[in-house]
Amino acid sequence: MHEMSLVQGLFQQLSSIAREHQATRIIRLTMSIGPLSGVVIDSFQFGFDILSKEDDLVRDARLEIVIPAVTYRCSGCGHTVETTGARPEQCAACRDSLLIPEGGDDLILQQVEME
Amino acid sequence: MCDACGCNTHTHNHDHHHDHDHEHGHTHRHEESVIIDINRSLFAANDAMARSNREHFDEEGIVTLNLISSPGSGKTTLLEHTIEKLGTEINIGVIEGDIETDRDAERIRAKGVPVIQLTTGGACHLDASMIHRGFHRLQKEPGGDKIDLLVIENVGNLVCPATFDLGEHRRIVLVSVPEGPDKPAKYPKAFTSSQVFLITKTDLLPYFDFPVPEAQREALELNPELTVMDFSATSGEGFDTWLNYLRTLVTQARETI
Repeated sequence: MHEMSLVQGLFQQLSSIAREHQATRIIRLTMSIGPLSGVVIDSFQFGFDILSKEDDLVRDARLEIVIPAVTYRCSGCGHTVETTGARPEQCAACRDSLLIPEGGDDLILQQVEME
Repeated sequence: MCDACGCNTHTHNHDHHHDHDHEHGHTHRHEESVIIDINRSLFAANDAMARSNREHFDEEGIVTLNLISSPGSGKTTLLEHTIEKLGTEINIGVIEGDIETDRDAERIRAKGVPVIQLTTGGACHLDASMIHRGFHRLQKEPGGDKIDLLVIENVGNLVCPATFDLGEHRRIVLVSVPEGPDKPAKYPKAFTSSQVFLITKTDLLPYFDFPVPEAQREALELNPELTVMDFSATSGEGFDTWLNYLRTLVTQARETI
């Protein structure tokens, strides 16, 4: 459940962004949560729902979540395939089984709407 | 927004930010909202602190390890045995992470090396700023000012610690034989982010279904760069490989200062 502390970190960032833009209320924010980021989306949403109730700035904010794809590159032939996170058993081109993930491991605050 | 920038008054000046990319008709209705692109990683603050920790360790010539595993895989036991064998040739310092109690720190202190306990009070992992503060505390302990090898024992948890860089040079993931061989498949991030996979309690192999080659193969498929080792604290088997690995790391660090 490190999602709770990540949400706390998010709220700190939102607070400084709001201050910078002289906003008092966050309406909507978009988070990109990579399938390999180690962040459980349901837990993140749960943490957001619980903690936002304690903070006027984000009390009514809508959390939008986008999930980026993960690209797996074959270490043998370089063939790439995009998945929703799961590692393919083997390379579709050369049957090698060493597939290296690229991307999909970050947790990014993409956009904020506020007033 | 408007309360702050004063756009309903006649003295409206335009020194506030309007750097949003949607169409902006400048009608300045009172409820007007702005959309700002941020694109900032939530891991960025921790990663920056971790980089600063690592630079500091590099300057001081300290090799830093981050031990992660489930509770009860043998992290503290590994440390106790390592200190017994290497304590006379390498100055070891320890940062213990636990949710509550300083029992692990007491076990390590009994071995005569500088140690501090970080209690996270419920948090499931250590982060880079805890290590930053913890290391400065450790330096004030007797012997804490001349450490060659800093070992951080993370909170027992195979999930959350994998996400947080502490500034370590090597991450060691431990799995004990009674836990079963499927940990790499179930907790991939712990294995893709580590450099060493250490299988512990191998004296129990006759009593558990733990095919070592299968666990090894699954881990290497996730991370071909992993160094796999195994060891039993009871029999001492495999321990020399681990000790030599540590000796090499410390020697290399001494040479690069």
